[in-house]
Amino acid sequence: MEVMIDAGLAENFARETGVRLEGDAAPIAYPAVWLARPALRDRIAQICAEAEALPVHESQRFNYAAPLRQGVRYLLAIAARREAEPSRLVLDATLSDPEGAAVGRIETVLRLVSRADLPKTGDA
Amino acid sequence: MNEATALPQVGERLPPLEIGPFDAQALARYAEVSGDDNPLHLDDALALSVGFTAPPVHGMKLLAAFEALLKSWRSDLAIASLGGTFVQPVLRGEKATLTGRVLRASQEDGVFVRLYAHGPSRAPAIIADATLRPRRPGSEGP
Repeated sequence: MEVMIDAGLAENFARETGVRLEGDAAPIAYPAVWLARPALRDRIAQICAEAEALPVHESQRFNYAAPLRQGVRYLLAIAARREAEPSRLVLDATLSDPEGAAVGRIETVLRLVSRADLPKTGDA
Repeated sequence: MNEATALPQVGERLPPLEIGPFDAQALARYAEVSGDDNPLHLDDALALSVGFTAPPVHGMKLLAAFEALLKSWRSDLAIASLGGTFVQPVLRGEKATLTGRVLRASQEDGVFVRLYAHGPSRAPAIIADATLRPRRPGSEGP
């Protein structure tokens, strides 16, 4: 999908995470905004529902070959894979610029916790 | 790599950064700007139902705050990578302290920093790491 850093959103994201922005830069963790888009979240929710599990954010990684810039149209490609024992959903996202050059790679690991293993309200 | 930039010494500790405590409004604002409106972070009853005494702060909000720690330490270095594992939650109303220590530093591979976020308990909330490189002239990035 095509993505772009919104200047106002970048500023707000930076403020809420205590980061001071300079020029047309973006926070290192800004791609979290793209990963929270409804289409992707709906797909994750569907996978979790099929697994009868709740997703718990286990780890997150951002690797950059070039800095993120506001106003640039990037291509974000996301691949998802399941892991077993423990059950996980891993999202591997690659970010490239309009010329196809690699800009970054973002890995999100969600631990899938079985709903049956969750404490119930009122449990001791 | 820019040879004019002096690299930090292995073992150097970053000045700690205290963040929070975050109230419900802060978590709601982060949910709005990030799009992560998982009710676990916003709904007291839901948090209680899964064993927390208060909603946990978004892990990503805490991880993202390492950028501020790293920039305040060495603004002449650009962050090439940042990653971390969320070990245990920091709950709404709790403070967190971000710390770091240089584990490796070389002109070839950059500066590798081990990072921790600690809430009130002894165990870390996040175990993270970052790689930094001297900024290219006129650039924010590595």
